[in-house]
Amino acid sequence: MRNSKRTDKWALWAVSTLCLGIPAVFILVPILAFVLNSLWHNDAGQLVKRLTLENYVAFFTDEDMRKVYFRTVFLCLSATVTNLVVGYICALYIYRQKVGSRLVLILIFTLPLFTSYIIKMYAIRGILGHRGVINELLIAAHVIQEPITAFIFSQSAIFLTLVVLYLPFSVLPIYLAMERIPENLRLASDDLGGKESHELKHIIFPLSLNGVVVAAVFTFVMTFGDFVTPQMVGGIDGYTFGRIVYSQFGVALNWPLGSALAVILLATSVVVALLSSLLLKLGVSR
Amino acid sequence: MTRKFGLLSFITGCVSLAALVVIYAPLLTVWVFSFWKPIRVEGSLRLADFSWDSYQKLTENSEILETLRLTLTVGAISTVLAIVLSLVFSLFYWRTRGIARKAMQAIILLPFLLPPIIVGLSLLISFNEIYVRRGVLTIIIGHTVLVIPVVYKIVLNRLESINESYIQASFDLGASKFQTLVYVVIPQLGLAVTSGALLSFAISFDETLVTVFLSGSSSTLPIRLWSMMRLGFVPEINALASSIVCVAALATLLFWLVKKQVEARPRV
Amino acid sequence: MQTPQELLKLDNICKSYGQTPVLKNINLSVYGNEFLTILGPSGSGKTTILKILAGFEEATQGVVLLNGQDISDMPINRRPFNTVFQDYALFPHMSVRKNVGYGLIVRGVGRAQREKRVDEVIETVGLTGFGKRLPAELSGGQRQRVALARAIICQPRIILLDEPLAALDVALRGQMCKFLKGMQRRLDIAFVFITHDQQEAIAMSDRIVVMRDGEIEQIGTPESLYAEPQTRFVAEFFGENNLLDGVVHSGDGTWAEVEVETDMGYLTCKSNNTATAVGARVAVAVRPENIDLLEDASRGYACKIEDIQYSGATYIVELSLQKASQIKLKCRLHGSRLPPALGVGDIVGVTWAPGSAVVIGKRDA
Repeated sequence: MRNSKRTDKWALWAVSTLCLGIPAVFILVPILAFVLNSLWHNDAGQLVKRLTLENYVAFFTDEDMRKVYFRTVFLCLSATVTNLVVGYICALYIYRQKVGSRLVLILIFTLPLFTSYIIKMYAIRGILGHRGVINELLIAAHVIQEPITAFIFSQSAIFLTLVVLYLPFSVLPIYLAMERIPENLRLASDDLGGKESHELKHIIFPLSLNGVVVAAVFTFVMTFGDFVTPQMVGGIDGYTFGRIVYSQFGVALNWPLGSALAVILLATSVVVALLSSLLLKLGVSR
Repeated sequence: MTRKFGLLSFITGCVSLAALVVIYAPLLTVWVFSFWKPIRVEGSLRLADFSWDSYQKLTENSEILETLRLTLTVGAISTVLAIVLSLVFSLFYWRTRGIARKAMQAIILLPFLLPPIIVGLSLLISFNEIYVRRGVLTIIIGHTVLVIPVVYKIVLNRLESINESYIQASFDLGASKFQTLVYVVIPQLGLAVTSGALLSFAISFDETLVTVFLSGSSSTLPIRLWSMMRLGFVPEINALASSIVCVAALATLLFWLVKKQVEARPRV
Repeated sequence: MQTPQELLKLDNICKSYGQTPVLKNINLSVYGNEFLTILGPSGSGKTTILKILAGFEEATQGVVLLNGQDISDMPINRRPFNTVFQDYALFPHMSVRKNVGYGLIVRGVGRAQREKRVDEVIETVGLTGFGKRLPAELSGGQRQRVALARAIICQPRIILLDEPLAALDVALRGQMCKFLKGMQRRLDIAFVFITHDQQEAIAMSDRIVVMRDGEIEQIGTPESLYAEPQTRFVAEFFGENNLLDGVVHSGDGTWAEVEVETDMGYLTCKSNNTATAVGARVAVAVRPENIDLLEDASRGYACKIEDIQYSGATYIVELSLQKASQIKLKCRLHGSRLPPALGVGDIVGVTWAPGSAVVIGKRDA
């Protein structure tokens, strides 16, 4: 469709530059800068702008760092799996309600997504702490005499907090995938005499799998990159990879190392995302 | 269709209920504590009587109010910037073909897909390189970058659902591209822009992970809360937290309502 | 009425999408105030012609001439044509008045004058009082009138209509046909109307362009297309037709009588300007309503009645030639003309006036 010609080419070039330029400057360039930063190094507090791989080498050779890295991967995987299972059950529950109730329910489940992250953390710390709600309730019910310290400032505290914080993030994609299943497939299954368990196994589950994959990737990437939670509820014991990255920009003041570790963090997330979509493609073609 | 109330319903129901309790427990306790202050009585936890005390102290805390003002300002400016830029970007994507638009969209969506820590770091490092001090400006830029993909997607979806024959009809009747934009396209974006703005504001209001890298001496409410959490117990925290939750919840509810409105409209 | 001037000419227009040709060598003229219909099945290229006329598409080859001037490069919004779209494309957020007045708004016409024109046009299409409504509040027929009003307000030279009746139910269609034809006469401008429905075409058009597979099959008045089809496709497109294959035995090529040899022996037929060289393979077309049945089989071609269908006003009799039963004929008789006591299996004589048989000599004959 052509509508007024000559000024067009000019205008198009100007707009293209604007539309490509602004995102490039504010998004692409910073990311490149950050990657570049990871290739510099810190010499006694001073930034030396020469290209080197020593930060990456440091990561791969430092045994403690590797330990934390893999521990974090394991932690986030566990949180992800837990959230997938619980999230799937919740999504299934919502899906099986009437259409009107479904909307209300999904709203209830996802409302916490938009409420403050920090606040939830603060509240959880209050609940899990030595003098937190859970301990007080247990003592009042005479189940225990002394407050249980294991709830807070430990890896398990981080695990619990991550699960609670990110559960809505897994319910939503799974539910959305289920919602896309054509209703007449369920009707057909019913019509052919299938019981609920059949319907679940053969129809709902396979067709909701891509929602599960989305939820898995989401949850893992977010938990892996979370550096606030470990700090708030992890205490001394609560060192995750994300926290190490963050601390490089805090007191430790080793930005290049922090950037390099962040690149590794990013790479891990990307690998997980790619693996999952690969798995999905394989699963679908089966 | 008969929905049998069998074992499956029971299990899923119980688990969901438990999950809801767990998800909402933190928020509920904060809300409860804001009205019934928790106090230590002989080493164990008791609740004081109902009072608006915490909220009152909140309104008197000028520092908190200042932070609130800043947060709202940042939210408003980021939202407006995001809307303006998203309109330009989404119109560009909608009406052009080729590599440029694909590259642009890929870059725009990046901050949404990347872990927040990466986005925060990138901006921090870049600002540092060009000697820009951390402060309100950097926070606004950070929030805008985070929020643009959301508004962009919402507006683009709406644009792509506009029937091409409206555009053809407008040209056919003699309108220029600009006139078509002003008279035919933009009026149909009202609801999309509104819902985008609401969502954008809610996200900005609550944004923590990226903001922490971009904050200077003064900062937004979530960051303030974080430092308050680390420094010690301040009674107004619960009131503050509850208020923030209410605001964010309201914005979200509004967003959902608007979204339903958009979907319920008759399509001509 | 004065002799209409040639207003628009499509000169050798070709259009391809990539490697796929959609229009091949289209040569077409539109006259000042005619109702021209472009008729064809889907995929025949009729909508593409409209798009090229309006400017939504560019022809791969060929030019569009308006009063002799090449407007192929003219952008959409400068062309003096307005389109009524198939889905009407009424701006959903604007009232009827705003929709109708849109063409004037974008031309910067002053408010007072604009309102006056809008009132006039709304009255012309019979929608007085509907001005403030939104498109969503209108029925299909009403929306169509708004679309038409919107198209005529800027006084274009040609109004293009893209299958505007397709979305209406059958009862409404007949009404709208009358309405559109009336409008066209009243406005005295050219209408170019696209459709796949031959009944609409026959009812409204001054001339019809029959399209098939991107090419023009035949152009003519409804009467000439019906009575003197030039190709097999046209012969069968309008109403029903009996087609008999044969070879030209003799003739003089123009409006004369040509003998055609078929399995029925020699037939004397009209040739209507088609090239009918001796020996050419042709078809002979005879309309079912032009066939007479005679009780005495020897006075015509002897045929056996295979089936009789009664439909109130007519009988449709299906026959097969006795000598060669693979040749089938259909005959349509008024209720009163069926010889009594005729039934399935009887042998009758089939005959027609020589002028009713037409030779079809062009493609696929």
